[in-house]
Amino acid sequence: MWKYLVIFLAFLISSCSHEDPFNTDPANSYQSTYNPSDSGDFVIIGARVLTGTGEDYPSADVWISNNKIKSVGTELNYPADMRLIDATGKWLTPGIIDIHSHMGVYSSPSLRSNSDGNEATDPVTPHVWAEHSVWTQDTQMPLALKGGITTFHVLPGSANLFGGRGVTLKNVWSRTMQGMKFPNAPYTLKMACGENPKRVYGNSNREPSTRMGNVAGYRKAWIQAEKYKEQRGVTRDLKLETLAGVLDGEILIQNHCYRGEEMAVMLDIAEEFNYKVTTFHHAVEAYKVADLLAKNNVCAAMWADWWGFKHEAFDMVWENVAIVDQANNATGCAIVHSDSPIGIQRLNQEAEKARSAGVRAGFDIPRSRAIQWITKNPAKALGILDEVGTLEPGKMADVVIWDQDPFSVYAKTEKVFIDGLIHYDHKDPSTPKPTDFELGLLKPGSDRL
Amino acid sequence: MKTLIFFFSLVFSLIVQGEGLLLKGGNVHTADSEGVQKNTDIYIKDGKIIKVGKDLQVDASRVEDLNGKIVTPGFIAPYSQLGIVEIEAVAETRDDRSTVYSSGLSIVSAFNPHSTLIPYNLRGGITTALSVPSSSGLYSGLASSFSLSSSLEGSLISRDIALFGSVSSGEGSRAAKMLLLEDSLDVASRVIEANGWNDEKGLPSSSSYSSRDIIALKRVLSREIPLVVRADRASDILFLINFSIEKNIRLILRGGSEAWMVAKQLAKTNTPVILEPINNLPGSFNQLGARLDNAAILNKAGVKILIASHETHNSYLSRQAAGIAVSYGLPWDVALRAITSNVAEVFGLKKIGMIKEGYKADLIIWEKDPLEVSAFAQQIYISGRLMSSESRSTRLRDRYLNLD
Repeated sequence: MWKYLVIFLAFLISSCSHEDPFNTDPANSYQSTYNPSDSGDFVIIGARVLTGTGEDYPSADVWISNNKIKSVGTELNYPADMRLIDATGKWLTPGIIDIHSHMGVYSSPSLRSNSDGNEATDPVTPHVWAEHSVWTQDTQMPLALKGGITTFHVLPGSANLFGGRGVTLKNVWSRTMQGMKFPNAPYTLKMACGENPKRVYGNSNREPSTRMGNVAGYRKAWIQAEKYKEQRGVTRDLKLETLAGVLDGEILIQNHCYRGEEMAVMLDIAEEFNYKVTTFHHAVEAYKVADLLAKNNVCAAMWADWWGFKHEAFDMVWENVAIVDQANNATGCAIVHSDSPIGIQRLNQEAEKARSAGVRAGFDIPRSRAIQWITKNPAKALGILDEVGTLEPGKMADVVIWDQDPFSVYAKTEKVFIDGLIHYDHKDPSTPKPTDFELGLLKPGSDRL
Repeated sequence: MKTLIFFFSLVFSLIVQGEGLLLKGGNVHTADSEGVQKNTDIYIKDGKIIKVGKDLQVDASRVEDLNGKIVTPGFIAPYSQLGIVEIEAVAETRDDRSTVYSSGLSIVSAFNPHSTLIPYNLRGGITTALSVPSSSGLYSGLASSFSLSSSLEGSLISRDIALFGSVSSGEGSRAAKMLLLEDSLDVASRVIEANGWNDEKGLPSSSSYSSRDIIALKRVLSREIPLVVRADRASDILFLINFSIEKNIRLILRGGSEAWMVAKQLAKTNTPVILEPINNLPGSFNQLGARLDNAAILNKAGVKILIASHETHNSYLSRQAAGIAVSYGLPWDVALRAITSNVAEVFGLKKIGMIKEGYKADLIIWEKDPLEVSAFAQQIYISGRLMSSESRSTRLRDRYLNLD
C-alpha cells in the first residue's frame, strides 16, 4: 500500500518538477569521494607564469590558500611569515589536462585481462560507464603526473557508435575510482564516427558496415531517446538514460571523428535532435572544416602529428591545431590531446609542435595562447572550467612548475601540485607515489624504479 | 643541333663559373668525434663532400651563406617500414609481412620510392632509412637501406644488410623461441650447398625454412650481416649476448627496455642497441624496467646506441626521442651520433652519416637545435642536391589555408 502511495507521490513530484522518481540520478549513487587535505597557505614566487587566461607574466607570484588559487600577480600582499617556494628562473603553468585518455581502462602493462575500454559486443552501448572499468593502479598514471597531468578524462574506446560514458579523474593515487573522481564534473558520452564501428560490426556482417549505416544507427538511437524522455519515470532504461541526459544538456558529447565530411554530418544530426557536440576528438581533418567548428562553438581535440595508421588519418597536416585555433578571427577552440600513454607524458611538447607549425604558417600564436590548448580549452570542453584550467582566484590549485620553457623538448616538471598538495617533486624520490603494481616488482626490496 | 648547342653551353658555363656548391659559415655538427665546428665551410661536388674547413677558397658555381646556422648530416632511421607500408590498417598497402618467407624475406623489390611517407619524413630530417620487414615470429626478414630521394632508380643504397627478429612478443614460451634461434642457425651451419637445401631435419615441423631463408641465416653465421633481435627483458638480453658469443655472430639489440640492467655486458661484448627512448612504459611483462634514462645509462657504460622513432609514419621523430634522451642525461653529441653516424657504422653504410671529406653530401640546414620539437629543416640536401620541402601534407595545408 505504502509502495503505491510513494509511486503516486513520486509521479506527482515528477510531473511538477521533472524530478526522477527512481532516484536514477547517478550523482546520488556514484559520488566522488575525493577530498584533499588542507594545503595551508603558501606562495610560489618569481616564476614566469602562463596563467591559461592569455597572460604571460615574465615573473609573478602565485598564492595558494586552502587548496585554491588565491591570487596571481606581481605585487601580492602576503604576510611576512608566509611559506614561500622560490621558483625564480622556472616556468609555471596550470595543471595540464588531457581530454582523451584511456588510462585505467587500457593500462600498462597491456594485458587481455585489463583491456576494459571497448564493450564491442553491440554498436550502441551508452549504458556502459568507463569509470566502472578503471584500474586505479595503472602505471601510466604516475608517469603522466611527471608530465604535469593533473586531470584526465577517461573515455571508452571507439568500436561503437555510442561507446559509453566517460569520466573525469584527478591524477591522484587512490584505492578507488571514486577517490579520483573529479567532484561534480559532468558526465560525457563517447560517440564514434567512421572506420572503427563499421569495421568492428561490418566484419561480422552486422549493421553498421558503412558510414551511412553509422549515421542511421545514431539517428535510430536518438529517436528512442526522444520517446524515452516523454515516458521517463515509468520504466528505467540504462541505455536511454544516458542518451536522454545528452538531450537534457547534462551529458557532454565527446565525438571521435576524423573526416571533415563526417564532422559536418554529425553537426546536422545534433541539429535534428537538438543536442550539442562538445568536442570532436582526433579530428585529423578538422582544418578542412575549421570555420564550421568555430561557428558552431565546437572544440576539436587533436594530435600534433599522428597519422597514417588508417585511411581516415591519412590527411594529417602539422598545422591542423593552429588552423582550428585561428578560425573565424581566432575564435576556434583547439585542444591538444594524447589518446596515448606515451603522448600524455608530454602534451607540452605536442602543443609546441602544433604551435611552431602554426607560427611557420604565418599565424601569431604566443605561448600564452598555445598553453590553453592543454589547460583552458580541455577544461571548457569537459565542463570543469569553473574549477580548473586557468590560474584564477577560487579555482583548484592545480599547478606545475617546470625547470625551463615547457615548450622545449628538454623541459621537465619539477613540482606538480594538485589542489595545492604536492604530488610530484623531482627532488623527492618517493614521488610520484608508485602504484601497487610497481611495489617490489623488479627487486623484492624496492619498487619499480 | 639544338642539343649540341645546349651541351656546349652547359660545359662552357661550368668552366666559367666553377663547379659545385659551397656552404659558407655554418655551425657544422660533423657527427664524428670532432663535435661542432663553428663558422665552417663545406664544399660539395658530384654529390660528395669534397672539403670541410674554415674560409675555403674554392671556385664553386653556387655559394650559400649560412650565417652560423646549424648543419648536421641527414638523419638515418635505423628501424622503419618506410617505402613498404603506406597505411597501417590497409593490408593491401603493406609489404612488410610474409608468411611464405621468414629470415629470407628481402623487401627490396617492394620498396616504393613514391610513398607519401618519404617526402614527409625527408621534410622532418630523415635522408636515409633502413626499411625492415615486420613479419611476426622469430625472424621478420632482411633489412635494406634506402635514400629518401623519391628517385625511382636511385633510392636503394644497400640490400639485405641485416637480419631482423624478435624474442619479445607472442604467447608461446620464450624458451621455444630461443631454441628455434639455436636450431635454425645449427641447421643452416650444416647446409654446405645452399642450392641443395631441401631438408628440414632438425627443425620443428611447424616451422618452414626455404633455401632463401637458410641462405640468410648462413650470412649471419659467417658474420657477413648482423642479427638484430628485439628483446626487452634483462634475462632475455643476457641470453642473447651469451648466444652471440657462443655462435660467433654479430648481435645488435633492439628495444632493450631493460638493457640498462645489463649495460656492462653489452659494453663488454660491443653489442650496439637500437632504442626508442620515448618508450618508457612497462607495456608488457617483458618491459617492466623501462625508463627514460636508459640511453644515458647505456652510453655511460660504453654501449653504442642508435635511436629510432616509435612509429614509421613519423620516423623523423627520432629527433624528439633523441632530445628526450638528452633531457634524461645523454650528451647532445652522442644523441646526434645515435641518429646519424652510429647508424651508418653499425649497419656498414659506407661514407654516409658524417660531414667529412669523401662522404655523401646528405646535409640538413636547421634554423635551430634539431632535437627541439619546434625545429624545422630549412634546406635538405641529398647527394648535394637541394630537395623540395613539399609533401602531400604541405599540399593539403596550402589548399585549406587558401580556401577562399
